[in-house]
Amino acid sequence: MTADQAPILSCRNVSKTFGALAAVANLSFDVRQGEVLGIGGPNGAGKTTLFEVISGLSPASNGEVVLDGEDITRLTPHAICHRGIARLFQLNASFDGLTMLENVMVGAYFGKASRLLPGLRLDAGSRRRTRDLLALVGLADRADLPMRLASVLERKLIMLAGALATEPKVLLMDEPVGGLTPSEIDQVAEVVRKLPSLGVTVLLIEHVMRFLTQLSDRVLIMHHGERLFEGAPDRLAHDPDVVSVYLGVDAATALKQAAAAAGGRHE
Amino acid sequence: MMRALLGRKETWLAVLLVAVFAALPWVSGNRYLIGQMIVFCLWATVAMQWNLVLGYAGIFSLAQLALYACGAYATAMLGFFLGWSLWAAMPVAAIVTTLLGLVIGAACLRLRGAYVALLTLAIAQVIYVLIITEADCFTYIDGVCQQLFGGTRGLTRFGDLGFRHLFGYKFIYADFYLALALLIVSSIIMLVIIRGPMGLAFRALRDNPGYAVSRGINRFKYQLLVFAVSAFFTGLAGAVQAAHFKSAGPSLFSPALLLFLLAAIVVGGVGRFWGPILGTALLMLADEGLKEVSDYRNIGLGLLIAAFVILMPQGLAGWSGNLLEGARHRKSSRAASES
Repeated sequence: MTADQAPILSCRNVSKTFGALAAVANLSFDVRQGEVLGIGGPNGAGKTTLFEVISGLSPASNGEVVLDGEDITRLTPHAICHRGIARLFQLNASFDGLTMLENVMVGAYFGKASRLLPGLRLDAGSRRRTRDLLALVGLADRADLPMRLASVLERKLIMLAGALATEPKVLLMDEPVGGLTPSEIDQVAEVVRKLPSLGVTVLLIEHVMRFLTQLSDRVLIMHHGERLFEGAPDRLAHDPDVVSVYLGVDAATALKQAAAAAGGRHE
Repeated sequence: MMRALLGRKETWLAVLLVAVFAALPWVSGNRYLIGQMIVFCLWATVAMQWNLVLGYAGIFSLAQLALYACGAYATAMLGFFLGWSLWAAMPVAAIVTTLLGLVIGAACLRLRGAYVALLTLAIAQVIYVLIITEADCFTYIDGVCQQLFGGTRGLTRFGDLGFRHLFGYKFIYADFYLALALLIVSSIIMLVIIRGPMGLAFRALRDNPGYAVSRGINRFKYQLLVFAVSAFFTGLAGAVQAAHFKSAGPSLFSPALLLFLLAAIVVGGVGRFWGPILGTALLMLADEGLKEVSDYRNIGLGLLIAAFVILMPQGLAGWSGNLLEGARHRKSSRAASES
């Protein structure tokens, strides 16, 4: 990965204001193809709002979002999906009246490109992609169950499969392991590790620091809508601003110890 | 192809039902019975197309009877003022109704839930009031003032389908088969839609609109599409209604019929293919049974609807579907425990 390579996604001076409140304030950053960018920060730092802006559900007040050289700031959410950005939601989003397979099929059939008029039958390509992704997240044998019977982990995995079914260039993950047990977290991490090899670039919001630092190539910490820190994950616990604003001394110490313990394994 | 849409057992059941229904007039030539069967075909079609908007797309539109009336009025007016053959007027009426459906769908685009109900009811009410208060004479026929929409009397004497000329007093049989054909064609198209990508889009938008658009579904397009499809067949049903009764009048807007059809969908099962058909059949039979005790007719219907809402909220279709699913689960879990 060379630094002079054109970024797949870049935010330039992006702001999102609600009245006098700037949830995202003049934020700029680039993400390179195949990278995992971790995003952290205290509650209310503007992380989710940043995702709202990038995915077009709540367009930026100022600045621009550029995907692969194209300005997508003012596009509608479905058009942004067709350009190649898929988002996972913090609160598990699902279509509860559909089966698990249909939940993924929505992304596979509608997510790739705009269809002038829908066909009368679901095409073989969408069916195959749906089956493959259900297998990838390990839910192939549960495909025909109604979504309302799904567990929290299954909801997250189905949402992930549905996002991947759109064949995104960039995947926005908003707290993908919130509310999961440690063993379930490892299960999700397993899937996320496969993403760069599928050519997917990931933006990852997470409060579970172990998960964030293990998976990210680079970390961006936000505070009051601005950038507090940007750099390698192992430098995070050494940054005095991040420790005082977000991590706290105890958590930072624990994180350093965990990094030291995991260090040998990682290199 | 039908088997991919319905499953083997359901397909045979549907074929059997259609065969029995189609043979009934030859078993009993009772004209009242045939008349009621025609009404059933029309109402079941209207309820089914309403269910597409209400149950599958989750849009609480109450403009369904305005669309039904639009199909009937357009047919009557093309026959009355332009002297068109009803066979030509009916498809054109369906297209006119589709346009009205598109306008209503576009008007509701930014609204949700109860506000959609209010706006659509208001649109239907405005159309109704405009028709019954119309005083200006559009033209004079034999020196008699004739309003554009026929005012409170509605429109009559706009020709017929020619069945009386062909079949004499048995013309009602032909009317019946026309209405039955409408119900069958509307059912098949409905199945193709709800089992295909369009149904997927409608249901996804119903369950979670924000999530659906971020998975690439264009809400604007699919909301207009669901209104257009539903309006087309509702308008066609209105056209057949006008051709059969040889009139189109403001009684088509009746709130009693609106509630009856809404109840049929609820009793049969919201968002289920068989729901409106079963519900319309059950409520028409119950209504027929209660005619003997006319004082208690409305109370009886009310109690029936209340009972279904409380005891069987998924309706007849949902209840029988759950029974089948439960049996299948028991069977598969038994198979699993044996292996």
